[in-house]
Amino acid sequence: MISEFGIILLYFILGFVFVGIALVAAYFIRPSHPNAIKNSTYECGEIPIGEPWVRFNVRFYVIALIFLLFDVEVVFLLPWAIVFKGLGWFAFIEMIIFVVILLVGFAYVWGKGDLDWERPKPYIAKLSDLVIGKKKQ
Amino acid sequence: MMDISDLIKSISLFKPETTLIVTFMLAMILDMAFKKSKNIAGYIAIAGLVIAGIFLFQQTGVNYKAFANLLVIDSFGQFMKFIVLMSSLIIIVFSFFSNELHNAHTKLGEYYTLIIGMTFGMFLLVGSANLIMIYVAIETMSISSYVLAGYTREVKRASEASLKYVIFGAVSSGIMIYGISILFGLTGSLNLFEINQFLSVNNVATLPLLLSGLMILSGFGYKISAVPFHFWTPDVYEGAPVTITAYLSVASKAAGFAVLLRFFKTGLLDSVPGTSEAWQLLGNIDWHYVIAVLAVLTMTLGNLVAVWQTNMKRLLAYSSIAHAGYLLMAVSVMNDNGVSAVLIYFVFYMLMNLGAFFVVQLIANKLDSENIDEYNGLGYRSPVLAVCMTVFLISLAGLPPTSGFIGKLYVFSSVINSGYIWLAIIGVLNSVVSLYYYAKIIRNMYLRDVESAKTKLVFSPVTIAIVLMLAIPSLLFGVYFTPIVEWANYSMNIFVGN
Amino acid sequence: MEIGLTHYLVISAILFSLGLYGIITRKHAIMVLMGLELVLNAANINFIAFARYGGMNIEGHIAAIFVIILAAAEAAIALAIVLNIYQNFRHVNIDEVDDLKG
Repeated sequence: MISEFGIILLYFILGFVFVGIALVAAYFIRPSHPNAIKNSTYECGEIPIGEPWVRFNVRFYVIALIFLLFDVEVVFLLPWAIVFKGLGWFAFIEMIIFVVILLVGFAYVWGKGDLDWERPKPYIAKLSDLVIGKKKQ
Repeated sequence: MMDISDLIKSISLFKPETTLIVTFMLAMILDMAFKKSKNIAGYIAIAGLVIAGIFLFQQTGVNYKAFANLLVIDSFGQFMKFIVLMSSLIIIVFSFFSNELHNAHTKLGEYYTLIIGMTFGMFLLVGSANLIMIYVAIETMSISSYVLAGYTREVKRASEASLKYVIFGAVSSGIMIYGISILFGLTGSLNLFEINQFLSVNNVATLPLLLSGLMILSGFGYKISAVPFHFWTPDVYEGAPVTITAYLSVASKAAGFAVLLRFFKTGLLDSVPGTSEAWQLLGNIDWHYVIAVLAVLTMTLGNLVAVWQTNMKRLLAYSSIAHAGYLLMAVSVMNDNGVSAVLIYFVFYMLMNLGAFFVVQLIANKLDSENIDEYNGLGYRSPVLAVCMTVFLISLAGLPPTSGFIGKLYVFSSVINSGYIWLAIIGVLNSVVSLYYYAKIIRNMYLRDVESAKTKLVFSPVTIAIVLMLAIPSLLFGVYFTPIVEWANYSMNIFVGN
Repeated sequence: MEIGLTHYLVISAILFSLGLYGIITRKHAIMVLMGLELVLNAANINFIAFARYGGMNIEGHIAAIFVIILAAAEAAIALAIVLNIYQNFRHVNIDEVDDLKG
């Protein structure tokens, strides 16, 4: 007799076998006429330039870190919600205090401007810059 | 289980910590609101600490297990919280005069806020009687201190310090939580009181208990920078701003020792003997011996390596490792006299160590260097400062008539009274070694470079007054120490229930 | 064969060892932090397994929640510090961040 985990293992094996059969069958049935354009990466009609491994802007990381913190704090709400009925008003007030403390943190992040997405401001040259003898500001 | 009257009493006894949380949030918000004022968060922090101190004072004589045994409020905790509170106050005052901090940032709001956060973590740590509470408290203080260590973030060595601190800290707390999980499996509880009850009724296998105990010790050992968990100490102490170095060397050590003592006495104590007899500990493990070995390693390494140092902050870092060793010696005897010796030592250690670091900070403000050669001829360039520094150094070395001598006297007498003569001998030999490097600084100040007569260094009267306020008690308590000893003896009983 | 407490403890011991191995051998700061997450999750598996199979109370589950949250907080701080290191040193190789020596 197999246990519950055995059933899950069986499920995994069946899944792999099924996908494998589908891929192998497709390999034999499909026509194969490769050329240079077909082999290039599909980028919605654009010609791909450079490597796909680019560095992400550091601002993504900052936003991600802040999101992570607030996201994980919400885990505390889950057990609270389950036993909420049994505890009543007291637990409600406790959780309000918890959320208010979180909100202060959020207000701080907001106030410090860490949530602002600063766009690069391109400098548009003005005619006066081109006048010889005048220093660029 | 927790009922409503217990809860109300707990909340009323939680006032010091609540004050700190409110201060934390107020400092944060008002610092944003008043963009012009540079030190507003600092003033709020001082006010908050003073109010928390008043609430703490009201708890004199209270012994209570609050929040369904999560926290213990007792006179031992009160004593340690006062040490933490005093050093936080002194550090905030130091920070007002730190060029290093003020040059790096236009506003220091976050800095003071984080100090309050760290103080809050230490308050929790001192009082916690639940392993998860201990972990949460350690993380609260650690996370604040990681940021503080690298607060001058454009300075290369400060960012390096914070990287090393965060990696070593996170690893040791990770190992600690694994140890906690094993102990939870062994005893079925995270509460120190329940662990104690379980161990006193049942027999558990020795090896897992030893393993989990050692893993938990790695977390505490990291906080008190005991060998072999000390690797971060010299680098972090050298790289971090001086004020934070001073803070880590006193307050976070005090909290670490408090939780170490409470862990052993609450979690593993078998019976309550008289004050001079050793506590009977549960399980078949000789924890006295483990701690004694740690103590010997810690003080020997600290003192021997300190001899070679040329940077004052690094030298004081190794000296603080050595002092952790002396304190561990008093912990290793595991009786109430040892606890009392730790408490007495901490009062004096706070005064002398903070004083020494403040002098280093003032010199670094003027000369922009912490090299030991910069102290050449200080006795003539700034006589008052040099005299005070001499007092601090003699006190750190533990020579009479300073308070450091009294602290060492109580530590050694508690060790000798328990019959660990060999430990006391090693301690005394270590003190002799330490005399060498403290005396080297004093020699530099008075006997080197006297003729060249460099320009005099002028310090503002306020800073001189602060140095004197630390130096005079360091001397005074060396002669009149009865009140401190009485207070420590009153506070030495760690509340274990009943 | 029934899946029992022992299996979970073995898994968590393996995770803990792998985590420690990663922390000790890796040079890249991010890799070290990943090793650290393994250690913390090993502790989490222990907590949950003991709470489930040891016939113990809810404390183990609560402990696991706290560990998850503190791990996230610690990771956030550590990553911020690593970013700062990158700005100062232009790399995050722990072995080469060694200006401080004595």
